Amino acid sequence: MSPSNRPGLYVHVPFCSAICPYCDFAVITGDADRRSRYVEHLLRELEISSGLSDFDTLYFGGGTPSQLSHDDLRAVGERARLASDCRVFLEANPEDVTHVSASRWREAGVSTLSLGVQSFDDDALSFLGRRHDAADANRAIETAREAGFETLSLDLIFGLPGQTLAQWRRILDAALAHEPEHLSCYQLTIHDDTLFGRRKREGKLLEMGDERQTDLFLETHRYLCDAGYDGYEVSNFSRGAEHRSRHNEKYWDHTPYLGVGPSAHSFDGRVRSWNERSLFAWQKWIDSGALPVSGKESLDNDQLLLETIVLRLRTRDGLDFDAIIERFNVDLLASNRGLVDRLCDEGLVELDGHCLRPTLEGLAVADSLASSLQLPDKPCQPNLQ
Amino acid sequence: MTLANVRNFCIIAHIDHGKSTLADRLIQRCGGVADREFRDQILDSMDLERERGITIKSNTVTLLYDANNGERYQLNLIDTPGHVDFSHEVRRSLMSCEGALILVDASQGVEAQTVANLYIAMEYELELLPVINKIDLPAADPERAREEIDADLGLDPFEAVLVSAKLGQGIDELLEAIVEKLPPPTGDATKSLQALIFDAQYDAYRGVVVVCKVEEGTLKPGQNIRLMHTDKEYEVEEVGLLQLKRVKKPELPAGAVGYVIANIKTIRDIAIGDTITDVANPAPEPLPGYKEAKPVVFSSIYPMSTDEYEDLTKALDKLTLNDPALTYEKDSSAALGFGFRCGFLGLLHLDVVQERLQREYGLSLLLSAPSVRYRITLENGDVQMIDNPSDYPDPMSIATSEEPYIKASIMMPERYVGVIMELCRDRRGENSTFTYLSVGRVELTSELPLAEVLFDFYDRLKTVTQGYGSFDYEMLDYRETRIVKVDILVNAERVDALSQLVHEDKSRARALHYCERLANTIPKQQFKIAIQGAIGAKIIARTTINAYRKDVTAKCYGGDITRKRKLIEKQKEGKKRMKMVGSVEIPQSAFVAVLKTDES
Ligand SMILES: Nc1nc2c(ncn2[C@@H]2O[C@H](COP(=O)(O)OP(=O)(O)O)[C@@H](O)[C@H]2O)c(=O)[nH]1
Ligand code: SF4
Repeated sequence: MSPSNRPGLYVHVPFCSAICPYCDFAVITGDADRRSRYVEHLLRELEISSGLSDFDTLYFGGGTPSQLSHDDLRAVGERARLASDCRVFLEANPEDVTHVSASRWREAGVSTLSLGVQSFDDDALSFLGRRHDAADANRAIETAREAGFETLSLDLIFGLPGQTLAQWRRILDAALAHEPEHLSCYQLTIHDDTLFGRRKREGKLLEMGDERQTDLFLETHRYLCDAGYDGYEVSNFSRGAEHRSRHNEKYWDHTPYLGVGPSAHSFDGRVRSWNERSLFAWQKWIDSGALPVSGKESLDNDQLLLETIVLRLRTRDGLDFDAIIERFNVDLLASNRGLVDRLCDEGLVELDGHCLRPTLEGLAVADSLASSLQLPDKPCQPNLQ
Repeated sequence: MTLANVRNFCIIAHIDHGKSTLADRLIQRCGGVADREFRDQILDSMDLERERGITIKSNTVTLLYDANNGERYQLNLIDTPGHVDFSHEVRRSLMSCEGALILVDASQGVEAQTVANLYIAMEYELELLPVINKIDLPAADPERAREEIDADLGLDPFEAVLVSAKLGQGIDELLEAIVEKLPPPTGDATKSLQALIFDAQYDAYRGVVVVCKVEEGTLKPGQNIRLMHTDKEYEVEEVGLLQLKRVKKPELPAGAVGYVIANIKTIRDIAIGDTITDVANPAPEPLPGYKEAKPVVFSSIYPMSTDEYEDLTKALDKLTLNDPALTYEKDSSAALGFGFRCGFLGLLHLDVVQERLQREYGLSLLLSAPSVRYRITLENGDVQMIDNPSDYPDPMSIATSEEPYIKASIMMPERYVGVIMELCRDRRGENSTFTYLSVGRVELTSELPLAEVLFDFYDRLKTVTQGYGSFDYEMLDYRETRIVKVDILVNAERVDALSQLVHEDKSRARALHYCERLANTIPKQQFKIAIQGAIGAKIIARTTINAYRKDVTAKCYGGDITRKRKLIEKQKEGKKRMKMVGSVEIPQSAFVAVLKTDES
């Protein structure tokens, strides 16, 4: 699992220069004024949210964090109680990457730059409503390379209506040409409350069929595996374990994290809470001196166990039954022996010692793998730790 | 009151032509009853019957009418169940009448169902009085109705009484016509007692209330009576007329229709169609036409959720208080848990019981495929009656199998003979013959396996005759047959609730039908699912449900986890309602879809 159990810090930056038609994040277009008010509030929120400290990851996500100035980034880093070896992640859109901005981000301590290139096909990019073209993407990547980030990660989207395997392979090739240390390849998901969602309802946008989506998904993993990448999670690929997203892995193994900014989620190992989604509501709470939390839930052991199963089965490292016994005092393998044998026979999982690892085909059905595992009938006894 | 002043009659009508409204109006006119307050208690009381347009339990009401000639008449309006499963009871009801009102909607004219019912009434030689209703409607066309009464029913159109049941128009004329045109009953109050039981209700305080028509002799309190077929004796406590409420009388003489209370504990102690006689002065023989109401169709009923089993037990107990024809005993299935093996008079009876259990008792149920009762003779000479596939013996040990046959009688306009002959042939009918009842009207009789009638026969009949065919049957005998037990296997596991006994020639088609229905309703799972139909070890039908290949969502970061967990929790919750067969989850909807009896 993750090399560290120190908490992570997530900062949600809700601004984008325009809203992409498929995006269901809490985003808003913003001018400089709005942005500086937002940063002020962010710093206040960091002050009043107590509890976690010694963060060993700081992740600027969004939205478009590259819309913040490096001074803003630095101010946030200074206010947060970061560990000395903290890694800083920044999501950036290609159009924001210049020699100047890139070197300033380096100066501000950013070690992983995650570039929202999404595609290297101009038609695809314009379909996705992006503000850059393939040439911009290539230029941004080269610029970032020159600035010397430890990990360069590229975000790509596949499964656009009508996309063929060959087209997608060409996009992957274009990405691989830059030898990124990390890749995130997301299948296009059409959410109801987006422009794409509306077009779909109106019959103007035809979502790719299940069979072809599956083909693309499997091909993505096979292709990148052949190119030397480890598909360590459903949508994430790295060249070597050191380039995995140390921050995201915290989500997948229940390491605590603090989220600040509108819509950000926090988790302390038992309680998960989430901030107001709207920028203005979020600011109002902070103005009144209160935490901008809009909801929270305290997870019982069954829920924690279920989440563990769900999250671990999305990773290639898989589900460690011994770790489950240690943490929850239940023997999940014993209560699912028959099913596990069956899943092994079907080639969906491998049982490696005490670890249940999904195969690639298993990863594709990770959600239903999780729901098919039987939770033990007796309530879990917490193993006091 | 003398016999000459009694009229026993029923109303024959197509659904919605106003039978209930007319009955209300007659009651109101004779009993001074305001508005429709009795609607719920009288005729067609169960809303189930209303919706389905059939009457299940007959209800009888006695009206007192002061006619223009100054005489007081006792009019017994006898309601008749309207479907072949209850033909037993219809016949009993019709046997109690001397006349029938044939009600025709002036805006619709004569409809098929009226014609079909008329045939049955004619069998009993009832005096028929046409009545044209809804003459108040702007669309009413009484002249056309008259023509159809002449042409389609063969009745005298000039006898027809024009009424508006809704407005009460023509009701007096109708009452006068009933008195004048319908004959009084015959019978001799001094002869030895013969009373025909044609209905019964259970009253929590008084026990069984028997409704009967006294054909001969007199029925009175204190009398010791014997039920001639069931051979049980009782002492009469009370007799009287059913004038909406029970009205006690000193006696019921020949010709009267009324009730008897005689400390009878349960409905099972009596039989519809039985004859009541006097122990001291018994009739030499019972009235003709008695037949035991025996269940001939069997199905297992399971509650959807196992914790409703207790409720189902109670509901069946209660239901049988008023429905003695329903039988049940414990049954169980590996896939569906505990339930009951129930016996019914026919498919409609089964439908009605199912709906009452669901509606009145709020139960959700699964019913296994209906089956007849087979007679199996083993090599060692033992004879077994088998209706439950799970009791079917090892085929190697079977010497002969026999299945019940019915004599079906189908009455219809001549033009449908061809299609009906075809239908009977398709259903393994034997000795089909037809006779002309009158010009253009034909009765076709055919000897059919009852099992063939269970699947969709009645609906097919109605469809191909455009509603003009009437269908009636009586049990005939058992005949040698070739049956097989068809099992349905899901990934090689037998789904016991889906096994059925089928004629060998139809086994493949039935198995395929089941496999396809299952394949269409079981959702894709992680594994490929093979669905097979088999006779013993021999596979006769096969379909496959391919595994789904991908369901994982693209993103699962901090803000997605709660939503994702809730989704999986919901899925797990949904799985609890699925039935596990081996490693395959089968949703209830799949069982429901497969066990629907709409097609064969
Ligand atoms: N206009 C008009 N409507 C009537 C008359 N008789 C019955 N109806 C209506 O026809 C419908 C069916 O009547 P109902 O008595 O329930 O028919 P049933 O199904 O034969 O018992 C109801 O909506 C009645 O109100 C009538 O004489 N005139
Ligand atoms: S840039 Fe990213 S966060 Fe902004 S609208 Fe587009 S997809 Fe959403």
